[in-house]
Amino acid sequence: MAHARPIATTRSATGIPTPRLAVWWILASEVVIFGGLLGAYLMHRIGHPEWAEAASHTQTWIGAVNTFVLLTSSFTAVLAHQAAEKGKGKEAAKLLAFTILGALTFLMIKSYEWTIEIMAGYTITANTFWSFYYTAAGLHALHVIAGAIIMGFIAVDAYRGRELHRVEIIGIYWHFVDVVWIFLFPLLYIAK
Amino acid sequence: MSENNEQRDEQGHDDGHHVNYFKIYVILLILFAISVVGPEVDELTGLRWITLITAFGIAFVKARLVVNNFMHLAWERRIAKWLLASSLILLLLFVAGVAPDVMNHEGNNWENVAAKQAVERGLAAASGYSEEEAESEGPVEEVIAAGFSAQNSFGQICATCHGVGGEGDGIAGAALDPAPASFIDPVFWQGRDRDRVITVIRDGAAAVGGSALMAPWGALYTDDQLEQMADYVMSFRPNQ
Repeated sequence: MAHARPIATTRSATGIPTPRLAVWWILASEVVIFGGLLGAYLMHRIGHPEWAEAASHTQTWIGAVNTFVLLTSSFTAVLAHQAAEKGKGKEAAKLLAFTILGALTFLMIKSYEWTIEIMAGYTITANTFWSFYYTAAGLHALHVIAGAIIMGFIAVDAYRGRELHRVEIIGIYWHFVDVVWIFLFPLLYIAK
Repeated sequence: MSENNEQRDEQGHDDGHHVNYFKIYVILLILFAISVVGPEVDELTGLRWITLITAFGIAFVKARLVVNNFMHLAWERRIAKWLLASSLILLLLFVAGVAPDVMNHEGNNWENVAAKQAVERGLAAASGYSEEEAESEGPVEEVIAAGFSAQNSFGQICATCHGVGGEGDGIAGAALDPAPASFIDPVFWQGRDRDRVITVIRDGAAAVGGSALMAPWGALYTDDQLEQMADYVMSFRPNQ
């Protein structure tokens, strides 16, 4: 450590390390963002019986495969955290790379799925159900993209044995993205 | 790095709790499998509530497992839990506050006409879907079945070549020879009447000796809809 760390990095009044406290704050705001969106969807879904018809056209199996992919990537993310805690930077980097691979797989499957829907005429403007479908899954996909990019930087650092505590931080964020999908999956694909 | 390790020890975060991550992962996968199979059981038994439990009940259990064991919230300082909980409470307050307005379409002194119409339109279109789907699949047919309006249909199908304003300047028409007809041209309307327009839309221009590039669209429309389409095309005709 050649350079001095900023005080805010180590100071903590809550007893929680600052970076981890920061990610909890982010997630607290994400709860409202995704919760508001999903809550609005749920209320409209109950008030509009005709959405059942539109909802019956979503690709359940594609959604299911993506659920499996995200659950698995969460598993590799937590294993990366475990490795980082033991100081095994290279192993943590490798596991983060697997997690990024999961993110990319998820996004490719998502693109394939959206292509099918759009070709069939189910675009974001088709009706309100599809507007919610693309908005909710799209916002989630943006989080997947952001997480994968940040994870890339952290993996490179971890490989060199630097900033290993960050592996946990990105992991917490990543599990949250997984949790959002855990709710999106039944809302958009299972409850028909 | 020693700095980080010290910090971690001070926070008491890694104070000897051991989670078998693989076990949690397997449980998550089993729960996931149940949530996928749920609707099938639902269909077989006709018990609607099964899906509700397997889909949403399980989602909460899965989320709890991930939050506690993967995010380690169970071992986190209490303030983080309060932080997330207050966020969740605010969210629930918001949802509860707007739910009466969003979920009901009428109240003592008000009526959400637009929402009611949307439900009616949607249900009507949905019943139309199933009949239509047997014989045709594809975006064009579905759009028409979903709620016919001559103007929309013209915009989606005819305007591709004839242009939204009927001037024969649609994107796909630019390369066609002969060029698509312009409905605002008085010359075009000489010797053309409503019946002929209907025939051309239904059977294609070749049926009346015109260009085969004007395809037959009869399969898309009922007789009544054909007449509406013709009337809409006629509405471009300039007054003389």
